[in-house]
Amino acid sequence: MAAIIDKHDLRDFDWLTSLLALAIAGFGVWQIHNALPTESYWSKQIIGIGIALVAFLVVAFSDYRRIIEAAPLFYGIGLVLLLLVLTPLGVEVNGQKAWLRIPGIGQQFQPSEFVKITTVLMLAKYFGARKAKTLTFKEMMVGAAILAAPISLIMLEPDAGQAITYFPILAAVLFLSAVRIRYVVIIIVAAAIFIPSAWVVGVKTGMIKRYQQERIMAIIDPDSVDPRGYGYHTIQSTITVGKGGLSGLKGDTETSQSVLKFLPEPHTDFIFAVTSENTGFIGCISLLLAYALLLSRMIAGAREASDRAGMLVIMAIVCGMVFQIFMNVGMAVGSLPVIGVPLPLLSAGLSAIMSTFVAIGFVVSVKLRRFVN
Amino acid sequence: MKIGDHVQNLGLRVVAIQVMAFILLALLGVRLYYLQIVKGDYYSDRAESQRVRFIPIPAPRGAIMDRNGKILVDSRPTYNIVLSNEPLKSINVNERVDDYSLGLNLDPQFVIERLNLIKSQNEFEALVLKDNADMGDITWVESHSLEFPELRVELQPQRFYPLGTTLAHVLGYVGEISPAQLKERDRQEKGFRPGDIIGKGGLEQYYDEYLRGRPGYRKVLVDSRGRVQSELQIVAPQSGQDLVTTIDLDLQTTAELQLATSTTKRGTVISMDPNNGEILAMASAPSFDPNIFVRGSSTPEGRKQIAAYWQDEKRPLYNRAIQGRYPPGSTWKIPESVAALQQGHITVARSNVACGGGIKIGNKFTRCMGSHGSPPLSFAITKSCDGYYYRIALMMGIDGITEMVENFDFDKRSGVDLPNEKISQTPKSWRKWVEKNEGKWSDIRTVYSGIGQDTVVTTPISLLRAIASIGVAGNMQIPHFMREIRPISAVGELGDVNYFPERSGFPYSYTQPKLIEMTPEQNEVMVKGMWGVVNGGGTAGSIRIPGFEIAGKTGTAQVAELGKDVGENKDHAWFVSFAPAYKPEISVIVLIENSGFGGSHAAPVAKAVYEAYLEKHPRSAVEGQEVAAR
Repeated sequence: MAAIIDKHDLRDFDWLTSLLALAIAGFGVWQIHNALPTESYWSKQIIGIGIALVAFLVVAFSDYRRIIEAAPLFYGIGLVLLLLVLTPLGVEVNGQKAWLRIPGIGQQFQPSEFVKITTVLMLAKYFGARKAKTLTFKEMMVGAAILAAPISLIMLEPDAGQAITYFPILAAVLFLSAVRIRYVVIIIVAAAIFIPSAWVVGVKTGMIKRYQQERIMAIIDPDSVDPRGYGYHTIQSTITVGKGGLSGLKGDTETSQSVLKFLPEPHTDFIFAVTSENTGFIGCISLLLAYALLLSRMIAGAREASDRAGMLVIMAIVCGMVFQIFMNVGMAVGSLPVIGVPLPLLSAGLSAIMSTFVAIGFVVSVKLRRFVN
Repeated sequence: MKIGDHVQNLGLRVVAIQVMAFILLALLGVRLYYLQIVKGDYYSDRAESQRVRFIPIPAPRGAIMDRNGKILVDSRPTYNIVLSNEPLKSINVNERVDDYSLGLNLDPQFVIERLNLIKSQNEFEALVLKDNADMGDITWVESHSLEFPELRVELQPQRFYPLGTTLAHVLGYVGEISPAQLKERDRQEKGFRPGDIIGKGGLEQYYDEYLRGRPGYRKVLVDSRGRVQSELQIVAPQSGQDLVTTIDLDLQTTAELQLATSTTKRGTVISMDPNNGEILAMASAPSFDPNIFVRGSSTPEGRKQIAAYWQDEKRPLYNRAIQGRYPPGSTWKIPESVAALQQGHITVARSNVACGGGIKIGNKFTRCMGSHGSPPLSFAITKSCDGYYYRIALMMGIDGITEMVENFDFDKRSGVDLPNEKISQTPKSWRKWVEKNEGKWSDIRTVYSGIGQDTVVTTPISLLRAIASIGVAGNMQIPHFMREIRPISAVGELGDVNYFPERSGFPYSYTQPKLIEMTPEQNEVMVKGMWGVVNGGGTAGSIRIPGFEIAGKTGTAQVAELGKDVGENKDHAWFVSFAPAYKPEISVIVLIENSGFGGSHAAPVAKAVYEAYLEKHPRSAVEGQEVAAR
């Protein structure tokens, strides 16, 4: 390491971004403990952060350009892992085959989290190499194809929540690769028309199943749905968030929504509700501000990137994170339907924390080499 | 590379992404402000209401005791399997029926009823699914706690009738409030809830308000499946007030034993202190075991037993003493004699009326059992001369008889402190019907009523009340069981919302007895006649107790036409009495259904009761002689 890390590396290293990410992750450990104080998720998360930090440092001090060069290899490995998940080697949890067991240590990991990064690298390689001119239709199709391969495999698990987090990556890359604004406008308008009409048609034809409707209705009109049925998650999460009030729990942790098991999945999908209950409005806003600061630092890094590929990597990661934060918190506050998207840096889970730290490692790596040409 | 070098304003596009990100985060912030600051208290309350439960702690009912403090009814702790509503909300209850009925040996129909009842309740309610759970039931529930989180085991007081069938009709039993009772306005106002235990029948029902305690509750913390995590607060229940009755258990058991060994094993015995109306014993046979009703309603065997009680032709559930109406036969002659004196048809000096061996009304001759010449009143009573009373009845006529009915309260309830008392039927109550259907009240009906037949059916309690008054100068007391309601001390801290104040005790409140107006001479001739029945060679001479003079009157009431009065249709045997004749302390009425002659089937039962009384209140030899000398 000493050979790789020289003096100006330490000087140019983005301490603020790194420490901010670490602080948020540490805050997350506290919330995981709050969620289930008697379980060991929080201590596992500390180990996960430790491992993630090593991966983070390795990536941060590597030359991202050489990694991007090798992107097709990583992308290929990623697809193989996603295929392996579907074989008997994959582990099924709650009807989803999304995990692989690491032989020997008995730990499971979720390839779909890591493939997000290899997909970003692949897209960055392809779109980073092209000339600065308006995007052609063929180029867009290639981008879509790069994305389609992992998404199809993930949908076979099936894990719609993970699959959906891939779209903002492509959207960011295309947007920053000079896609015509008129296309952007067309897509937004088309979506504005298509989604509501698809809902109406889906409900009428029965394509959207009853429970799916109820999950949506729980958002639109929480009082109209059976609080014990499909609206349960949304209603309990909303109660938990609201209960936090201004400053959260004051000592009575044994009566918390998660300890009494009213709040489902408190350490993963609904970790934000736990945060809300324990730290209140003050804690939630602080967390959102921390995310905003982290994202700003990453975007600033993108602006300073020495090449196009580096800029695309950072912005793709930024968009992926913003999307996940919005989906997850939106779900926790009862504004979005329940989709299993982890909250970056906070939700318990080795794969998620590692992939996020690796992603931030790329950001740091890109910034570290901003003066190099 | 510089970001501005790119076409399509790359720099602006990055800014656009950043602005978009901030807008999304800001939207979340606004939503958080709404949920946590604006509606924080609302959600805080909702969270509390879903994690806090109030589990009622049933209060033990007050005990019921006899006049000497012997326990007649008590409560004892039993393990109950309690079914709580909440975990069932998301479950198809039909899936539970087989599990419960097999696992806990419950009647499937009962399980369905319970599940339907609890499903119709508000949240957080609980009902007893099975009481008197044994170790097997408890183990079953504990070992299925994950499958059936709605079941839990609780130690609760249960009504226990240690005497079994003894005194069952008087005590009544308890049971869960029925859906119909729950709808009654005054019960709703008093805050009754499904599953509440109330008195059903007997003293349990009549004094329910006092016997019933006030339930406390446990405030507990539950998890999302309704499982109790910890206890936050306990509010202790306040037990019900004890009821001390006028019953003398020794007399009661004697009476019941007599009925049980009687010819038909069907009948009733009432013993009352004529001086104040205190009932010392009230037995009705056949009887039932109240414990079956308390414990049996959930098990198939118990339900079968209860159904058998209801279907039994001998009607064990009905209290013959206050609900049975029987022709009084010759016992009716006692109030009739008083009425004849009062109405002036006879006087003490000139009370002779012809017997004639019977009477001829139209073409029909109605016989007397003997030929008594023209006897005076006391002789007519002693020998129970029918001919005498045929003529007395005719002298009184329907109006005179009506006056007598009213005078002796045969058109009213006796006022005994038991629910569902029936009113006797008399010529007064039949008059309208007869006049409408037969044109007029005929003499033959008057004649028959003169010997307590045809249009006369009386409840034993009303007959005893009327006749026992002869011994105490015509004072008709209200028969009653209550001697005292005992106080119960306060529970909790004064000023606390859960404070139960002391409930004070009180004795029976007497009302002025109804007076049957007689001159001392009239009264004495009545007593003399009744004294003669037992002590003067009368119809009940066989039960004479030396040194303890009983005044009484036999009755042998026909239930079928002559010639058909055999087997099941034999006459009802009556004996109504008080003793000692000239200073009564105790009165006894006996009815043995379809057994035959009153003097030989009813009177000996009364004698046994008197003997039991004498054993507890021995006479000195002097006292006996003194009375005999009169």
